[in-house]
Amino acid sequence: MKELHFKQLDEKLYHEKLDNGLEVYILPKKGFSKTFVTFTTKYGSIDRTFVPFGESTEMTVPDGIAHFLEHKMFEKEDGDVFQKFSGFGASANAFTSFTRTAYLFSATDYLYENTETLLNFVQEPYFTQETVEKEKGIIGQEITMYDDQPDWRLYFGTIENMYKEHPVKIDIAGTIESIDQITAEHLYTCYETFYHPSNMLMFVVGAVNPEEMMNYIRENQNKKEFKEPKPIVRSFEPEQMEVAKTENSLYMDVQKPKVYLGIKAKETTLQGEEMMIHEMAIQLSLELIFGRSSDFYVEAYEKGWIDESYVFDFTLEKGFGFAIIGSDTSMPKELIEAVKKELQKVEEKWPYGQDDLDRVRKKKIGYFLRALNSVEFIANQFTRYAFNDMNLFEAVPALEKMTVADLQQSFASIQGEKQQTVFSILPKKEQAKS
Amino acid sequence: MFQSIDLNQGIRLHIRTTDQFKTINFAFKFKHELTNQSASERAVLSNVLLHSNELFPSNPAFRSHLDELYGTIMYLDSSKKGSDHFITLLAESVNEQYLSTGGVLDQVMDLLQTVLFRPNVENDAFKDSIVKREKDSVIQRIESLYDDKTRYAQQRLVELMRPNHPASIGANGTKNDVSAITTESLFAAYKSMMEEDELDIYVVGDIDVEEMTSRIKNAFQFKARSNAKQKNQHQNVEHLSVEKNEVNEYQDMKQGKLHIGYVTPVTFTHPDFPKMQITNGIFGGYPHSKLFLNVREKESMAYYVSSSFSSSYGLLFVLSGIDAGKQEKAVRLIDEQLATMQKGDISKNEIEQTVAMLKNQLKEALDSARGQIEIYDQYKDLDEAFSVEAWFKKWEVVTKEDIQETAQSIEKQLVYFLSGKGELSK
Repeated sequence: MKELHFKQLDEKLYHEKLDNGLEVYILPKKGFSKTFVTFTTKYGSIDRTFVPFGESTEMTVPDGIAHFLEHKMFEKEDGDVFQKFSGFGASANAFTSFTRTAYLFSATDYLYENTETLLNFVQEPYFTQETVEKEKGIIGQEITMYDDQPDWRLYFGTIENMYKEHPVKIDIAGTIESIDQITAEHLYTCYETFYHPSNMLMFVVGAVNPEEMMNYIRENQNKKEFKEPKPIVRSFEPEQMEVAKTENSLYMDVQKPKVYLGIKAKETTLQGEEMMIHEMAIQLSLELIFGRSSDFYVEAYEKGWIDESYVFDFTLEKGFGFAIIGSDTSMPKELIEAVKKELQKVEEKWPYGQDDLDRVRKKKIGYFLRALNSVEFIANQFTRYAFNDMNLFEAVPALEKMTVADLQQSFASIQGEKQQTVFSILPKKEQAKS
Repeated sequence: MFQSIDLNQGIRLHIRTTDQFKTINFAFKFKHELTNQSASERAVLSNVLLHSNELFPSNPAFRSHLDELYGTIMYLDSSKKGSDHFITLLAESVNEQYLSTGGVLDQVMDLLQTVLFRPNVENDAFKDSIVKREKDSVIQRIESLYDDKTRYAQQRLVELMRPNHPASIGANGTKNDVSAITTESLFAAYKSMMEEDELDIYVVGDIDVEEMTSRIKNAFQFKARSNAKQKNQHQNVEHLSVEKNEVNEYQDMKQGKLHIGYVTPVTFTHPDFPKMQITNGIFGGYPHSKLFLNVREKESMAYYVSSSFSSSYGLLFVLSGIDAGKQEKAVRLIDEQLATMQKGDISKNEIEQTVAMLKNQLKEALDSARGQIEIYDQYKDLDEAFSVEAWFKKWEVVTKEDIQETAQSIEKQLVYFLSGKGELSK
């Protein structure tokens, strides 16, 4: 077990790669009574075409399967895993993103019992056609629930506009039709391919003794048998640089329009420290252009183009990346024009200097330090960083090194009109009028 | 947990020193009677005080200053509890020991003082353009409820059960009351908040208690409150009857939102409160509950189905998203789960799981500075001093018979169903 000391942050991180390939990280937090544990596989909704474990030809599985599999992991021959966690006073949960599936619990007691439950339920798949069919009703209601959420539709509508081929454009839960095709056999195929310990990471943070916990996890894993790991072969259709559609909209029963400008990133291949600097440089640039202290924000707010729902954000993973800027607004045209004008201005002449960088850098450093109070943030973000060969605890030093030139250079990834798309949710009552 | 002292009549300071967090947290909680008018005024007031002040007369100047203070979080929040409205001024700043520069805490405390005592005013009135814009923002916030079908359905249920009652008054007030606000009426609301509201001030972080106490005393000189109330005495809740027991409404949507309201004599200050917490937990509070296991897992009818106990008002709610055509079956299944509890069909395992979950939840909540403040603030009005161990004991002694009796005190009052069915039949 290795010990990594981050002096400036006053944190000690313990790490070991087990014989079966599982990466285990442990971060004790003083004063905490809870422990938060995540067990995550590098497998998400975008991993739909791949070579199944032990086979040689690739296959494409139905949309929404990673999320379906996440649901089905909780059901075992002897009942529901939630029951076990409840008995030991733990709150358990799971989530599926574009690139990850995470299983987690938090508990203030029975730490080892709960850790064992987590390790064992994720490593003992049990699927039957009957239980798979039963789950379709539950997930069908989950999909229907999201269908009625205008902000979710807005987000996915924008991504669909940007991407032509890449599966990031497919809703994480799939559709009622796509999940209907899922079989128990599919679930086993995906499980065998993506749930090998060498494709997974466990993070333990909070009230924990690192030596004891590492021994406990190691022993649990040594008792189990795993096949020899094989490299995972995922396959993606080539994706064009520019957006797939420049504009689209959807009518829903909302009070006023909602609109996003989506910007498709050109640079989506970086990993490691380069990716960290690139990603943070774009985030800092967006903060300067669209943040609460920016000229843009002041004008947009005073003129009523934006309200409290206003957001701007940047997402980056290997193979896809995008910025979104938008708000609920009764003046979607004016808002989008102003956002585009602002981007044009920055493109023509970079307006920000050292003082600007220093200000947003301080804000971001404060954000990281604040976030380190949250064990949930630490475990989830650490895992996301690690899956992209980055270290969460290097973020503050990387920020300190950042230069104005970094900002300017990275920002080029989201420059150009061909990268931009507009998606709006419009009130049904306006559709009736037109 | 906290060291509390009275700074003046109706002004209390609660400090907790801990090295658990990398930040220092402040909360100023101003309490006022909850009405549609007061909630509307105070929601707008929160926005206006956060817009600018005498030292930073424009919003970007104020925001840039916060950025420079390592992204110190500062905001005013409008909320309600029972028959009270709260304006809470919150601040969270990074502990200087993690920074290369000092003086941040001093500046944050100065800024808190400025936000409260030196607002951006002219001739005893807030500025017209700011008030107008922030009124619009609050109105938009109220309107946006419509787009969130779960929150909308819940609001409709409570309005139908308790019209013109604190239970259904929103923390942001109403569109009409917000529209009626003037620069002068808002200034009057500000004066009343600063001079009459009861106030609890919280500080949590790695700080010296004595030093912080004297700094707060010097920087925040609030006058004595003449109308300061004593601790909340338990009063029996009076439940009103409703006109209809079932209301169906329609919007253009796919999923059906089933919201059921129940009444119970138990409230937060009632001696049976711990029993109700367990009863609600077994009914629908957790993934091991009867609702989750039977309505979701066994019948596959819903993705979410849960119950929650609103302890201020003695109301209990069940919320579920279901297929629009399955209303009757869902209501029947939910009724059955409560009926089995009322008959005493409650296992030892269900009780143990629920007690374990309640214990875990309470301890977990104390792992954040905000959690510590909120829990202490909620429990401080009870007669006995709050301790985790005391609440553990209260849950441990609850028996199956207690739960059965508590379940029997729960009475269904209104079934509200929001769905898109009406659109289809048109």
